[in-house]
Amino acid sequence: MSDTVQDFDFETEALSYMDQLYAAALRMTRNGADAEDLVQETYAKAFAAQDKFTPGTNLKAWLYRIQTNAFINTYRKKQREPKRSDAENIEDWQLAAAAEHTSSGLVSAEQQALDIIGDDDIKQALDALSEDFRMAVYLSDVEGFAYKEIAEIMDTPVGTVMSRLHRGRKLLRENLKEYAAERGFTDKRPAAQKDSKGGA
Amino acid sequence: MPGRECEEALDRLFEYIDDELPQDELQRIGAHLKTCPPCEAEHQIKERIKNLTSRAGGQKAPEEMRARILESIRSASA
Repeated sequence: MSDTVQDFDFETEALSYMDQLYAAALRMTRNGADAEDLVQETYAKAFAAQDKFTPGTNLKAWLYRIQTNAFINTYRKKQREPKRSDAENIEDWQLAAAAEHTSSGLVSAEQQALDIIGDDDIKQALDALSEDFRMAVYLSDVEGFAYKEIAEIMDTPVGTVMSRLHRGRKLLRENLKEYAAERGFTDKRPAAQKDSKGGA
Repeated sequence: MPGRECEEALDRLFEYIDDELPQDELQRIGAHLKTCPPCEAEHQIKERIKNLTSRAGGQKAPEEMRARILESIRSASA
């Protein structure tokens, strides 16, 4: 029947995203205890608001939106982020694009440097970003959300999503370059001269 | 010096990688990348970093948390 309300089984459908929401919560809060609290809060809020969800629309994006709001309202306050100095309303990434036309020698050196980047480096580089950049990059690169979906999840215009992605990825790339350089530098030195702090 | 085609390609590279471009722009930039090694090198690095970043997820929800959430949902629906 076309006008029967589609049955929505919250438990089966919403809970199937728990691993993803937890992994995202870990990158949002950057610690396991807060991540667990955040996911629990997300499900409590989603359960209470399930009548507002339209079955057949994007449940995953809906849950991410609830989690993002919960994170902003609850955890952002207590996490004490350093103030962002990289004001994102200045759209200078567009001007910077042409500067990326670097010589292929430099680029291939960077390609090689990326060979020694591991999963922990990526997480560390991502965690070092301010939360808006970190979330935009995570939602795009890890979850594969479209710009429009990220805009809805983060409650921001698509242009802001693009700006956050450009800036966030640029900073992430700089972080990765630094890690690779540190590693490369350490590894070229004779074993006797290496200090102990590079043993991650 | 990068020309206008390079500027357009570099400017749209993230959208190209993220599959956010309309078909005609996608094809135009794809065609440019095939003929311009510096732009293609930049494309490869950006794509590589996106692929590396995609592995930052994947952690499994802890079992006790799963049980806790399931229990609270079931007691709320009862």
